[in-house]
Amino acid sequence: MLRAEILKLTTTTSTKAAILIAALGLIATQLAFTLLLPALREDGAAGADVSAGLPIIDLTLPENQLAALNLFGASMSTGSIGVVIVAVVLLGVLAGTGDFRYGGLTGAALAEPRRSRIVLAKSGAAAAAGAVAGVLLAATAFLTLLATLLTRSAALNAPPVQVLGLLGRGVLAIMLLSLIGLAVGLILRNQLAAVLVMLGALVLEPVLLSIVQLAAGTLPTWAQFLPVSLSQAAVGSSGALAPGIALAALAALTATVLAAAAITLHRRDL
Amino acid sequence: MDNHTPAPVTIRHLRKAFHGVPRVEDITFTVGPGRIVGLLGPNGAGKTTSIRMLLGLTAADSGEALVFGKPFRELSDPIRRVGAVLDAGGLHPGRTGREHLRIAAAQGYLPTSRVEEVLETVGMTDDAGRRIRDYSLGMRQRVAVATALLGGPQLLVLDEPANGLDPTGIHWLKQYLRSFADNGGSVLLSSHMLSDVAQIADDIVIIADGRVRTATSLDEALASSRGDLEHYYLSLTGTDERAPHAAR
Repeated sequence: MLRAEILKLTTTTSTKAAILIAALGLIATQLAFTLLLPALREDGAAGADVSAGLPIIDLTLPENQLAALNLFGASMSTGSIGVVIVAVVLLGVLAGTGDFRYGGLTGAALAEPRRSRIVLAKSGAAAAAGAVAGVLLAATAFLTLLATLLTRSAALNAPPVQVLGLLGRGVLAIMLLSLIGLAVGLILRNQLAAVLVMLGALVLEPVLLSIVQLAAGTLPTWAQFLPVSLSQAAVGSSGALAPGIALAALAALTATVLAAAAITLHRRDL
Repeated sequence: MDNHTPAPVTIRHLRKAFHGVPRVEDITFTVGPGRIVGLLGPNGAGKTTSIRMLLGLTAADSGEALVFGKPFRELSDPIRRVGAVLDAGGLHPGRTGREHLRIAAAQGYLPTSRVEEVLETVGMTDDAGRRIRDYSLGMRQRVAVATALLGGPQLLVLDEPANGLDPTGIHWLKQYLRSFADNGGSVLLSSHMLSDVAQIADDIVIIADGRVRTATSLDEALASSRGDLEHYYLSLTGTDERAPHAAR
């Protein structure tokens, strides 16, 4: 069953397209962070006022090198969602809704009438796809940073353990985000509705947080447990939560929505 | 069939309503081993809903639908016992026919070699590498039939399998189903093609407005209607304009 679900993902273009978009988005964000912003500041091409307002990014510093390895590309502006988050969530959504759209779920239910096992197999496949996407993105982020450092004749000073930890947490967070997308896709069934709901949720989260912060003066605890906040905290780019706790909370959130998807699928007529 | 061997299909007093509107009100019939049962009825009569309840895809409000004596959801290894053609066959337009069958084989833990075997059986080997979006309706139906045959099942449940098939395809399907039943397999065949059903069915079940109007052998149905299955069907489903005149 798991093999069938993996075959479903590898024989459709949407999986490859989502990973490609995530990689291109990551490269673009990284290059902007490591090359474009410093160049604008140094050359003054953006105008004196704008250049003065741009952050000073010294890529020889380990913390800036680690920031450049953020798989969510959130190092530029932590209050917004990145292309990577959108792409990996949509990867899961498309995996969840594709079978409903084309009737493939009927075939799956005929081969495996215990629907919780279908959800389990789909989760395994989406997690595998998320892991592959995460590893590819991690490699992309690392190679882009190395290439940038080469152009600036700088060395990689960030400690290898921290580099590996950051990239590893990023891969896990990407896996979990793709599973959240899958669960939402299975619950909503309709592809367009699921895409819009997920995009709306991802876009509205930072807006909601800004409004709450403005109104309350500080972020309440619950606000730190929303998906985007947890993902960014897991890679250590924002939030008050420690990366490990953020990752565990994201895993718990993922398990909850997957359980809801399994219950929904069990009760639903196909 | 002895008393210890459950019938391939047993449906008793099946009921189902959607949003409070009854669609299936009282459906009871069986499909015996080696029999082809034609499930006939007008659009909206409840044929597809009954089939989906039999296959565990739709939950019945009451009654029972058993496959080899068990609810479908309790069958172990169902793909090796039941093959089904429903709707458009669950075909993703971006995949090739061969990819679709490889996925179906993997779902049932079947060897990949079965894919080429069933492709050959339905005459689709040469086109199996093409995208399904480029297939004709008849070619899609052949791939759907091939999917149903993958597990080498003992029971085939087919909902309008001849839809879109050309005369050669229909002829092939009829011959295949007859041979399948002659070798001990059972077939539940939902169809609007009365003439085709009349050529291959052993028994017929006619339903209308969610109720069984008759469940009988084809021979009896033909005998009671002077060999005119169409007249028999129309008189039972209440759509025969000749019936009131004949009754006068």
